[in-house]
Amino acid sequence: MAKKDKEEDEFRPTGTIAVLTVFVITLIAIWATIYVILVQRGGTL
Amino acid sequence: MSTQKMHIDRYERNWMIVSAVLLVLFASAVSVAAFGLGIQVPAPEQRVNPNTVATDPNSPWSNPGLREVAPGKYDAYILAHAIPNWEYLPKEISVPVGSSVSFYVTSPDVQHGFKIQNTNANFMVIPGQVSKLTITFDEPGTYNYICTEYCGSGHGVMYGAIIVTP
Repeated sequence: MAKKDKEEDEFRPTGTIAVLTVFVITLIAIWATIYVILVQRGGTL
Repeated sequence: MSTQKMHIDRYERNWMIVSAVLLVLFASAVSVAAFGLGIQVPAPEQRVNPNTVATDPNSPWSNPGLREVAPGKYDAYILAHAIPNWEYLPKEISVPVGSSVSFYVTSPDVQHGFKIQNTNANFMVIPGQVSKLTITFDEPGTYNYICTEYCGSGHGVMYGAIIVTP
């Protein structure tokens, strides 16, 4: 069991993490940009 | 009785946490915009008879236009129609800057759209139904309103303008 945990700890998918990090940052940036535009344009009650 | 702890890979767990946090963050931001800042989509205001809405003398859309209901507050009754020549009535309205305008828009024929450019006002106009939305014009300028639902061959020329004067 200890050996298995050790193998998992050593596995680090660096490329996948990098791609997903870029994806998440891009998602937040695009979403936030539209949100700011929405808020700046004011209410529509 | 023994219990087994489910094994979740560390990276999968972290990805699920990030996804959940993003969902909560986005849902919170949308809630703040909708309920805190008053940015909402219009609800159907009332039902009308599309066959008579433009001709019935008791219908405000038989004489579409702008009505001042209080200082700085206006009601705009706008008729969007494809027959005979794809247009909004009135084609142009003018209000002073800082005015709050409630738009009451309906159609006697087919489905149209009503989007006021550079604002959050954007909704469908459905025959038999009145769409209402209120916005305040804080900046002077010309705000075009355009049809955003394909309504026939003249769809592309269906537009009007709100002139906000200083």
